[in-house]
Order: sequence, then structure tokens, then C-alpha cells
Amino acid sequence: MTVLGSVLKAKIEFRKATKEFRGVPAIRGIDLTLNGGEIHALLGENGAGKSTLTKALSGVHALTSGEIVLDGRTLVLSSPADALRQGIAMVFQETNLVPSMTVAQNIYLGDEHLINRLRGLYIKSQQFLQTLNFNVDPTVLVSSLGVAQKQMVEIARAVHHKARIIIFDEPTATLTSEEKRHFFNLVRRLKSQGVAIVFITHALEEALSLSDRITVLRDGELVATGETVSFDRDLIIQAMVGRAHTNELYGSENKEERRIRGYGSKVLDVQNVSMGNIVRNTSFSIYTGQVTGLFGLVGAGRTEMMKIVSGVLKRDFFHGGNVLLDDKPVRYRTPRPAVRDGIVYVTEDRKLEGFFETMSIVENIQVGDLARGANPLSILSMREARQLAAEWTQNLGVRSIDSKAKVIELSGGNQQKVVVAKALVQKPRLVIFDEPTRGVDVAAIVEIHNFISRLADQGVAVVVISSYLPEIKALSDRILIARQGKIVEEMDVSDATEERIMYAAVH
Amino acid sequence: MKRIQVTQEGVVFSLALILAVGLAIGLGKKFYDINNLVTLIRSVAILGMLGLGMGVVIIGRGIDLAMIATMVVSVSVVLVLPQASSNLPLALLIGLVFVLGIGLLSGVLIAYAEIPAIFTTLAMGLVVYGVGRSFFFRIDNLNAPQGYWWFDFLGHGSILTLPLGNGHAFELPAPIGAFAMLGLVLFFLLRWTRFGRFVYAAGDNPLAARITGTPTRLVLVAQYVISSVVAYLAGIVMAAASYGMNTRIYNSTMIYDVLLIVVLGGIGLSGGRGGIRNVLVGTLLVGVLLNGMTILDVPYTQQNLIKSIILLGALVIDSLINPRDEQTTQQGDV
Repeated sequence: MTVLGSVLKAKIEFRKATKEFRGVPAIRGIDLTLNGGEIHALLGENGAGKSTLTKALSGVHALTSGEIVLDGRTLVLSSPADALRQGIAMVFQETNLVPSMTVAQNIYLGDEHLINRLRGLYIKSQQFLQTLNFNVDPTVLVSSLGVAQKQMVEIARAVHHKARIIIFDEPTATLTSEEKRHFFNLVRRLKSQGVAIVFITHALEEALSLSDRITVLRDGELVATGETVSFDRDLIIQAMVGRAHTNELYGSENKEERRIRGYGSKVLDVQNVSMGNIVRNTSFSIYTGQVTGLFGLVGAGRTEMMKIVSGVLKRDFFHGGNVLLDDKPVRYRTPRPAVRDGIVYVTEDRKLEGFFETMSIVENIQVGDLARGANPLSILSMREARQLAAEWTQNLGVRSIDSKAKVIELSGGNQQKVVVAKALVQKPRLVIFDEPTRGVDVAAIVEIHNFISRLADQGVAVVVISSYLPEIKALSDRILIARQGKIVEEMDVSDATEERIMYAAVH
Repeated sequence: MKRIQVTQEGVVFSLALILAVGLAIGLGKKFYDINNLVTLIRSVAILGMLGLGMGVVIIGRGIDLAMIATMVVSVSVVLVLPQASSNLPLALLIGLVFVLGIGLLSGVLIAYAEIPAIFTTLAMGLVVYGVGRSFFFRIDNLNAPQGYWWFDFLGHGSILTLPLGNGHAFELPAPIGAFAMLGLVLFFLLRWTRFGRFVYAAGDNPLAARITGTPTRLVLVAQYVISSVVAYLAGIVMAAASYGMNTRIYNSTMIYDVLLIVVLGGIGLSGGRGGIRNVLVGTLLVGVLLNGMTILDVPYTQQNLIKSIILLGALVIDSLINPRDEQTTQQGDV
């Protein structure tokens, strides 16, 4: 039995790889080589392009330009299944297993014979799992497994499909230290068999101790790549954030121009709030008349913290803690009471939960206005609605050719402005912007930033959640940094450097 | 730049017109006889009323399969009450309370227990009919009480009489009036009230409606209360028009006719789209179709086959025009 026998070492080259989403490049001109028998750590901030790069390799995205060359041949992939056939497997953070099937069935999924004898399948899987040194019962349902075990099954599946390249997207984020150790051993063993391993992570220590080579991406470009021994923590962080020629967009780097707002009155006080594993005993306060930036890497629980505050989170998972609005304890189970108390949340995913796609701009804004009221039978005035909408679309600079156009037909930037208008028409005292400029064109970013600043000038308490450091620095007066479900540091923007923020945010 | 707009209402209306003209040419006097046209609209008035109620629920991204059961049982309960012959208004009031209970129960199960509407109302229909059969009535035919002029008028009166000469007259039957009135009320409710906007918002994007702060659960409950009350009203008109209630209607394919009207009219099952106008054109088309098939003497089974094929076609077209899955259209994450 040499299930885990050595594989033919692969050599993958990215040549000028570029991928654009609606004209916005996610990765630009990346040249990178991956070798079999090597662990390659891929580092960078959220949105740096790590996921896009690996998804291009695993057949999820097709490159806009450039090519991927595998063993000297240009790689053309039509789907992730196609990539798997060519020996490229991706292990996602959220596993892609079928929960209602057993471990064995999942391992052999897509590889079944016409007629499967379940017993034979279990015996085969048992032997296979033993060669991998995996302690998982092949007959149990995947839904009953823990996160680490699910990951093991997923890896087993990749090995079973004779994967020569395995991509791990944040594999250790949800593992305990014991599980991590086991995982690292396995990865090393795969490497010794000649498998090429790509390892996306936010944990710098892991990258430094495990990998052979490190590549750092920033803003879709490759900024550093080399042997791991030539890197250290500081070098990596500098590479991750060091923007030599910072975008003119965030030109407010020159601090004398930038006026920093002081603290208004304390409007929100969060004390020791917990929710499952995502938010852990965190405390912070929000003040009026300033912008509070909330920074953190993926999985830091930023969005969840603010969704608890605004009642958006669907179920009541609180494990304790208090939220005080103007020193009065509040506990919102739906957004409606929060909205009526003046707390609005502007979502990061506008298509999923932001706007109403069949409605016009006017109607979208009107729903926002109506939601504040109570009487369900009160009669509407379309004239008023149009007036209100005209006021706000002008305020925010929403551009559309046709005033009756449905919001779905607008550009990303204009859609975002409509979502913002729909929220602000509710005259909130506390606005939470979650990734306010995601998927928005450059001109609209500037407008939205200016608008957020004006809002704080008017005395509104503003929170901006962003994964993009320059955005956080350009907008906020005070920065909160979240890590592993907790606000771990708070600093005024005058004291903040990108390095300091990143230091606090990484493990 | 003016956009050429082909609305589904327009298409359906044209289809109804073409079908009507075709039938008129093919069948001649049998179809376009004024009395047949009146029969046509009278026969679909009740279906149309049910369609209005169903329309409201579907716009809110739900469905109410219990409407026929609610209609049959609530009116039957009214008719078996001892008050039915002595004090009909009181009996009707009791029936209304009964119906409100049904709507509230369905609504609460769907909105708060978050059970899918299609299963909740399917089961609810069975429960309602079972309760009616077990506790209130055992016979198939229940007679309407005599001696209430307004009840009689509701079924057989004419709200508009135009003399046509030579002894004939065009009469607009009262059930049509009831259909029109209900249509107006619901049109007003959907278009001009806060509630109506919330229904559209929740139907378009329930998550966004929730985040925006609309009372999504209460709106959901209200929808099912409305559809139940509408079913009750349709049942009253039916009892008035046919001198009673035949409880076997529950076992008929009527609920599919109602869905046919709504879907054919262009109210997308994905919610948030369409309005009262769509129900009207849908009713018109279905009415012409049913009438034409009856005059052509198409057997009942074949009629059902034709209707079901049209329903299937309409559902396919609906899912093509209004895809339900937003996930697939989402932007790839960077």
C-alpha cells in the first residue's frame, strides 16, 4: 500500500496573472513560481488578492490576462472539478463536504463506481485513512465531526484524488493548538511526498516556522517573495502595509491637513459582550462627532460585534455582557428597535442584504424613511418621497440616467450610495458602515469618504469597519483593533502607523 | 433614450385578447353573445377574488395553499350555525373571527417559527378542513339562508343595468362588483400605504427589509390574515351566488386555478414583483380560457390537463424571468 507514495513533483508558474472583477483588478501582473515538495506561504491583508490568486489556480476564477503554466503546459481550467482532475485541490476554510454523507462517501465522492458496495468502501477508506495516520471513523456522518476532523477528511479527499498541488485557505484559524500540531505534521509529510503546498494565513509565526518560501501580496500586486529564512516578522509586516507610493486617493497622509475630531459624548458603551467563539468578552465605546475606525483581519469578529449592537444578528447567541445606549441598557433582537433608537447598520454585502433590486432609487429611499414610522395604514405621498429622494441623491451624488431605473441596474458605487441614503434618511445618531467602499469605483470612494467625514462633522457617531488600512487611517479619528473576537487595542489616529495597527491585528 | 417596455401584463392582456378574438371568430355567436360574456366574468369573479388574496401573499414572497380550505370551511361553519337563518350578520361575524384565527395561526407559524410557507399552508389546509368536517358539518351541501335581500343581491343582483333594446339588457353581476371592490381596496393597500411598501420590500429582499428596520414578521403575519379574510369574502360571494356551499370544492383543483391566475398574470414567485393589475389580466386570460373550453365541450379531465400544462409553462417562464437565487449573481470576492 503506497497510497501516500511520492507524486511527480509539479512546477507551477504564474505569468503576468491578472484578474479583474468588473474592471477592478484583484490581482495584477503576478509572476510567481510554486514547486513540488515545497510549502509556500501566501501572506497579505484582506483584499490583497490571496484568495483570487489561489482561486485562479483551483479553477474557480478564469484569469483576465496572463497565464498559469503547469509543467511547461498552459493550464486551462473550466471548473474546480477540472482542476482536481489535473491534480490541484483547494481546502477551504469552510469545508466543502456533504454533511449528510459518511466520511468514506465524501472521500470517494465523484469517484464512485456504478454500483457501490458500502462495506467495501468502508474497508478501503479505513485502510486509506490509516496510511495517512488519520484517526477518523469512515462510517460516521461528516455532520457529526469537529472542524479539525472535517479538515482532515477534506485533505484525505485531496490526497485520494492524487492531488499534486494542495491549497490551504486559512487552515488553522479554527483549530486548537493540539490540532494545529497534528495538521503541521501532516503538511510536512505531504511535502516530503513531493506535493506542492500553498498556505494562506494571517498567522505570521506559522508561516515563518512552517514554510519554505514566502510571498507577500499587497493591493493585488506581488511585493515580496523569497526563501523563508530571509524574512522575519518585521519585514513581512512592512511588506504587507508599506505603501511606498500611497494611493493619491488616501492623500490625507499629510497630517497637518487632516483635522482630527475630538471626543463627543459617549453614545454607546459595550461591556464584556460575548457571542459563541466569534466575539469573546469584548468592551469598547463609541462617541458622537467622530469617526471610529474598526480594523481587524478576517475572522476577528468585527462585523459580528457591530451586528450585535445594531440587532442585525439573527439569533440570540449572547453569552452575557451589556450594551448601553446613552447609559441605558439595550438588547436588540431585531434591527427595527435599533433603527427606531437611532442605530443603523450599513451592510458590507449590499446585494444580499442592502437594497431592493426591483425598486427604483426613490422607492428604496422611501422604504428607509417609512421604516421609522409605526402606523401601517398611513397613506403615502409619492411627491414627498420623490422630494426626499432628490435631496439625498443630490447629497450623495447618485448618478443614474433614468430616474425610474431599478437599483440593480446602477453601478456598484451608485448602488452603495443608495444603500447609504436609505440608512441615513432614518436620521440615525450612530451609523455603522461595514466596508463602505467594497466593490465601488474610485470616484465613488472619494465621495463616500467625504460624506462620512461630513456626517461626523455634523455630530453623528460614525463607525467604519474596514479591512483596508489606508481607508481606516484616512477616515478615522480613533481606531479600534479587533483580534480573535476582541478589541485588543485602541489608539488615536495621530499615534497610529500602519505598522502599529498591523502589529496589533496579527496574532 | 426611451426604453421599449414589454411588460408581462401587456403580454398577458394581448394573449387574452387574441384568444378571445380567436374564440369569437371560431365559435361565433356562442362566444361573443353578451350573456356568455357576463357568465364568463361572473364565473371567474370568485377565482379572481382568491387570486387577489394569493397575489398579496406571493408579492411578499410567500404562498397560501390553504385558501380553498379556508373558504370552504369558514363559510360552511357560518351556514351550519343556528344564527345563520335568524341573524346572518352575527353568523358572518363569528365566521370572520374563525377566519382571523386561521390566518393568524398560519402567519405566526411562518413568521416566528420560520416554517416554509408552502408546507405550513399545505398542512393548515388539511387541518382546517379536518376540523370543519369533524366538528361542524358532515354533509356535502350546505344551503344558504333565505330572506336576506342583500345576501341575495350579492349573488344575483346587478350593479349596473344597461337596456339594449328589444327587451334585452346588459347586466353587470354583483360578484363582479365585489371582485372590483376588493381589487380597489387591495390596490390602495399595496400602493398607497406603509404596509404595502413593506410587503414589497420584504418580498424583494427579506434580509434588506429586516436591516432597514421594517417589522418583517408582523407584515408576514398580516399577509396571511389578509389572504384568509379574502378567501372568506370569496366564499361568501360563492355561497350567495350558488345558494349554498359545496364542501367538495376543497377536493377540486381550484387552488391551482388560483395559482394559474397569479403566475400567468405576472406576479413572480420570487416576490416583490407585480401588483393588482397582474391579477386582473391573469383572471381575464384564465376566464376566457375556461369559458372557451367549456363552450368547446372539452372534457373536464382534458381541461385540467391543458390548465396544468399552462401552469407549468408559466412557472418555467417565471423562473427564467425572475430567478430566485441571488447567490449565483453575486460578485466574486476578491
